[in-house]
Amino acid sequence: MNISKNETAVMDVLNVMDALHIGPHTFNSRLILGTGKFSSTDVMLRAVRASKAELVTVALRRFNREQLEDDLFGPLSQLEGITLMPNTSGASTAAEAVKAAHISRELSGSPFIKVEIHPNPQHLMPDPIETFEAAKILASEGFLVMPYISADPVLAKRLEEVGCASVMPLGAAIGSGRGLSTAGMLEIIIRESTIPVIVDAGLRAPSEAARAMEMGCSAVLVNSAIAAADNPEEMATAFRDGTSAGRRAYMAGLMAESGEAVPTSPLTSFLGESR
Amino acid sequence: MLTIELNGKPEPVVEGSTVADMLAILGTDGRTVATVVNEHIVRPPERTTAVLQDGDRVEILVFAGGG
Repeated sequence: MNISKNETAVMDVLNVMDALHIGPHTFNSRLILGTGKFSSTDVMLRAVRASKAELVTVALRRFNREQLEDDLFGPLSQLEGITLMPNTSGASTAAEAVKAAHISRELSGSPFIKVEIHPNPQHLMPDPIETFEAAKILASEGFLVMPYISADPVLAKRLEEVGCASVMPLGAAIGSGRGLSTAGMLEIIIRESTIPVIVDAGLRAPSEAARAMEMGCSAVLVNSAIAAADNPEEMATAFRDGTSAGRRAYMAGLMAESGEAVPTSPLTSFLGESR
Repeated sequence: MLTIELNGKPEPVVEGSTVADMLAILGTDGRTVATVVNEHIVRPPERTTAVLQDGDRVEILVFAGGG
């Protein structure tokens, strides 16, 4: 490899080398996009393009001739370099999630499945027991299982042990925009995991995506923050930059924190009277 | 006539109707949908030969937006 002395070129090369690996798949982008809640398919597609995301989520719904806009498979297939990650939303048990995963794989041909089982529509918190059961079955069937979970280090480890391709703990409740309210638990999960840790749900601002990446997350999954922005395309670009900046900072190594001030300039006096 | 359930709604169909006929009723060419009968996936090549029985539950599904 011919690495130029130009520092920008070196950083670009490092960026390419710093790819995200999930199972046998490699992604250059560490921003995963959800496709829900956009005002139109066109707005969603522009946001996906602007985000440079390579992995996007979709959900199974009944076909409805009156809502042809809902059918995203065709439009998303037109985008280059996009891999679909169907979710199992709507499932409230492991059996339902497994069923949804099978149908989704049939339709998408993608090995990725976001296991998402939240029985309570009030808080949408994931059911850890059903999620674990579904993840275990789907991993044994060869799916690349990406479970959406509470920020629980014990559950995250158990999911890793049964062969999940990643774990996706929440930063805050889905669509809440409360940011990284689970930061302390996320730090433990990141430290303990040997599979990618992807913060899913709760992010509102690109600075939160940056912080998640600085903490050592492998990627972030964002939907509402972009779809509900005044300008989703611009917000997608901002999240792309925030995610990328946070990752760069993590790789560069953040300085150690100190309880006391540490001077950056010499404090030796020469302006006062000589001693 | 038979009565099946098509995407959750009762649908009267003539005997010998297939999954492919249900796609026509709903108005889709079937390229971007998954077809499921009584919780069993019916793959595209099998749709024209999958004959429906009285009481069958047919689901025609697409990928919509989701996070």
